[in-house]
Amino acid sequence: MPVKSAEKLTAAQKLVSQCDRCGTCLTVCPLFGSKDIESSAARGKNSILRALASGGLEPTKDVKVALDFCLLCQRCVVNCPAKVQTDEAMILARQYLADNAGGASLKYRLVGGFMGSPLLVKLGAFGLSVMRKLGLNNLAPFGAAPDEYTRTHFMTAFAGPAALGQSKPVETVSVSQGSKVAYFKGCGMQILFPEAAKQSLEVLGRITKPVTRDNVCCGLPHLAHAMEGDFFKLAKENIRQFEDVDIVVSDCASCSGTLKHLAHYFEQDEAWRERAQAFSAKVMDLTEYLAKAGYVPRTQNNARITYHDPCHLVRGQGITKEPRALLAATGEFCEMKDADVCCGGAGSFFLDYPEISDRVIDKKRQNIEATGADIVVTGCPGCLIQLNKAAKASGKFKALHISQVV
Amino acid sequence: MAIGEAILRQLQAVVGKEHVLTSELDRFGYSYDSSPTPLVPPHNPELVVRPRTTAEVSAVMKIAFEHGIAVTPRGAASGRTGGTIPLSGGIVLTLDRMTDILELDEKNMMVTCEAGVRTMDLYDHCAKFGLFYPPDPASWKYSLIGGNIAENAGGMRAVKYGVTSNYVMGLEVVLADGTILNTGGKSIKNVTGYNLTQLIVGSEGTLAIVTKAILRLIPLPVKRGVMQVFFPSLDDGCNAVHAMLQQNIIPSAAELIDDVSLAAVAKQRNLQLDPAVSACLILEIDGPDEAALEKQSSAIGNVVETHHAISFRVAQTKAETEELWAIRRGLSSAVAATAPNRLGEDISVPRDAFPEAVRRLKELSRRSGLQIAVFGHAGDGNLHPSVLCDLSDPGQEKLAHEVVGEIFAIALAVGGTLSGEHGIGITKKPYIIDALGEAGVNTLKAIKQALDPKGILNPGKIW
Repeated sequence: MPVKSAEKLTAAQKLVSQCDRCGTCLTVCPLFGSKDIESSAARGKNSILRALASGGLEPTKDVKVALDFCLLCQRCVVNCPAKVQTDEAMILARQYLADNAGGASLKYRLVGGFMGSPLLVKLGAFGLSVMRKLGLNNLAPFGAAPDEYTRTHFMTAFAGPAALGQSKPVETVSVSQGSKVAYFKGCGMQILFPEAAKQSLEVLGRITKPVTRDNVCCGLPHLAHAMEGDFFKLAKENIRQFEDVDIVVSDCASCSGTLKHLAHYFEQDEAWRERAQAFSAKVMDLTEYLAKAGYVPRTQNNARITYHDPCHLVRGQGITKEPRALLAATGEFCEMKDADVCCGGAGSFFLDYPEISDRVIDKKRQNIEATGADIVVTGCPGCLIQLNKAAKASGKFKALHISQVV
Repeated sequence: MAIGEAILRQLQAVVGKEHVLTSELDRFGYSYDSSPTPLVPPHNPELVVRPRTTAEVSAVMKIAFEHGIAVTPRGAASGRTGGTIPLSGGIVLTLDRMTDILELDEKNMMVTCEAGVRTMDLYDHCAKFGLFYPPDPASWKYSLIGGNIAENAGGMRAVKYGVTSNYVMGLEVVLADGTILNTGGKSIKNVTGYNLTQLIVGSEGTLAIVTKAILRLIPLPVKRGVMQVFFPSLDDGCNAVHAMLQQNIIPSAAELIDDVSLAAVAKQRNLQLDPAVSACLILEIDGPDEAALEKQSSAIGNVVETHHAISFRVAQTKAETEELWAIRRGLSSAVAATAPNRLGEDISVPRDAFPEAVRRLKELSRRSGLQIAVFGHAGDGNLHPSVLCDLSDPGQEKLAHEVVGEIFAIALAVGGTLSGEHGIGITKKPYIIDALGEAGVNTLKAIKQALDPKGILNPGKIW
C-alpha cells in the first residue's frame, strides 16, 4: 500500500537522518567520479532532501533534476559507515516530488506505460528483431537498440574441448524433484536480448521443466520514476500469476532484485502482505538457482571471460560467487578491477544523461581491456546495453549474457 | 558584499565558466561540512569557484582582495567543526581539482603534492615505494591533504608517529592579496626566519590558502599486528597504556573504548559481552619483521596482565585483524545509532589525566541525565566524548549544548585543551577565550591582522 504523499518526505528524511556528511560516498559514487560536484553523490542528495523536509529548499525543477541524477546503484549504501539507504530515500523523494510538483516526467510515463503493457513489450521485441535484421538498430540514439551477440557466435569463436572430440555435453545434475520452476520474462530481456532469453530457458530446461506465464513488468522503472500506482498494480498481477509455482527464476538482475523486495512494499498492506512475502521468498536469480541446482555448464572452452556485477545482483541481492563459479567452470575466468562499479546504464539513465553515462562506461571498458578478456559477461539487460557499447568502442572483447555462455 | 555580474565574469575568465557554480542548489551543496551545524537556514556562498592551478587560486584571490569578498577554502568538507562553512557568504574556493602528486623524492624521503590529493591516495602512492606517510585521521579515505594541513589532523597512529604537522616540511600558499608564498623546504634543519610553515598548519584557512605541500616520509613498517584487551575498569586500561610507554613499548595505535560505547557495538553486532568488562583497548603494533612483533606482543601481554586484564587476544589471521579494526572503525556509527543525535567532541588532555577526565565525564552524564559515550586515543590523551541526545526536543537541545560546554570545562580543568585534531571552526568558538585567555586570543588576532588585513579569509572562525 502506498505511503501517503506527505509522509513520503518524512519517511525519506528519516532514512537519511543518520547521514553525518562525512563524505565517504564521494569516493565510491560512479557519478561523482564523472561529475565531481557535491549534488552528484549521496551526501549532496541527502542534504538536499533534509533541507527540503525542513523548509530550507523549495521543490524546484533543479531539485527534481538533482534527485533524478542517481543510478540507484547502492554503492554509497554499502560503503556508508552508517549504512544510509540513499537509494530508497531517492525513490521516496522522487515520488513525493511527482505527487507535489506535477506528476512523473512525461518521458518516464511513456516508458512506464510501454513497459506496463505486455502487448507493447511483445511488439517492441518484434520491432527490434526486425530492425536488427535490417541493420537499422544502429540508428537508435545512444545505443538504446544494441546489437545482440549470440551463443552461436560465442560457440563458433571459441573452440573448447568439444572441438577436441568431446562432443558429448557435460553431464547435468538433476534438481530436487517436485519443485515447480517458473521463468519470469523480463521486459529488457524480451525486447532487447531475445536470443539470450531463449538461452536462459534452454539452460533451465536442462535441469527442470520451466513454465512461463504472461507476467507483467517487474515494476522497477515505475518505482524508480515516481509511478507508484502502476508499480503496485504490476506487483499484484505478478504475485497472482505465480501463486501456484515454487520457484520464480529471473535472468535479469533488476527484475529478480525488485521481485525479491516486493514484500517490503506491502508491509503495511494487510490484504497483500502475506501473499507478497510468499512471492518474494520464491524469487531467485538465474545464477543463484543454477548454483543451488548444481548446474554444470554445457561446454567448456578456452575463452578468457570476465564478469561485470550488476548493481541489483551484487548489492541488491548479495550475489557474487555464483556467476563467477559458473564462468570459471566454463572458460578461463579473470577478475576485472572495480567489477562491482555501476556501468552507468541504470535503466533509462543512459538515455537521460548520455554524456555522463559514456564517461562511466568508458572506465569500465578500460578495466575490461586490462584483463585481456575475450568476453565480458553479466546478468542484466541494462548492463548488457552498456557493455555492448563498450565492446563496440573497444573491438577487443564481446559482451554476453551469462545464459549464453554457461 | 554582493558579487556583481562584472566580477562573476572575471572569475569565470580565470577558472573557466563550468568551474564557477552559481545556481541556488549548487551553492547549497557547498554550505555545509561534517559538523553538527544545522543545514537550515543554509549558509550558501554567493559563488563556488573551483580553480585547477596555484596561478588560478592567486588570480581569484587578487579579485577577492580588490573587492573585499570573503573567501572560504574547502577540500572535501569532511571537517567536524564547521571550518569550511561560508558564514559570510562570498566565495567558496574548492581545492579538490588540484589532485596531482608532483614528486616523490626517494633520497630525501619526501613527497610534494597539491592540496586536493586524497590522504589515502597519498599513502598508497608512497607505500608503492616502501615509504610511509603516517598521519591517519579517521577520514583518511576521503579527506584531502590540504584540509588535513589546515586542521592539523591527527589520527590513531599519533601515539607513535605524531600528527600532520610533524610531517609538513614546506608549503606553497596563496595569501589574502593573491601573493604566492613558499615556506620551509626540504632542509631538515631550518631556522631561517619565523617558522611560517607551522604557523599555517592548523590555521583553518584563516591565514592563507594551502596549494602545495612538501611532506616528510619514513620507511614503511613491514609487519603489523593487532590485539584486543578487556579490562575491568577504564583506569586499568589507561594505566596499562602508560606503563607500556614508560617501558618504551610504543604501540602504533592504542584505542580505548568505554562501557557505553562497547554496549553500542555489542548491540549493533549482536555480541554478548562479559559483564565484568568495562573497558576495551585495541592496540596496533608494527615493526620490521615477525620477531619484532612477537617481542612487542609478549611484552604487552606482561604489562596488561599486571593491570588486571580480563582477556588478551592477538589477532592471528588477516580476518581477525580486520574484525578487531572493524569494531574500532564502526564505533562512531554504532554509538550514533543509539540516539537520534550525537554531538561528538574532541578534547585533548595530558596523557595521565585521561582517567580523571573520563571520571568527570561520567559524573557529568549522571548529573545531566544525558548519556555520554567515550572512546579515544589513550596513548596521546585525545578523547572523543559523544553526547547522545535528541535535538528535536527543545529542552534536550539546550541541555545537550550545556553539557558540551561542561565537557570543555572538564578538559581545561584537568590541564587539557578544546581540540586535539578537529580544530575550533565555528562549533568551539565560544570556548576559545577560556582555553587561551585574552592575551592568547589577542595574539591570534594580531597575526590574522598582519596576514589578512581585510579579513577576507574564512571570516567568522576560531574566535
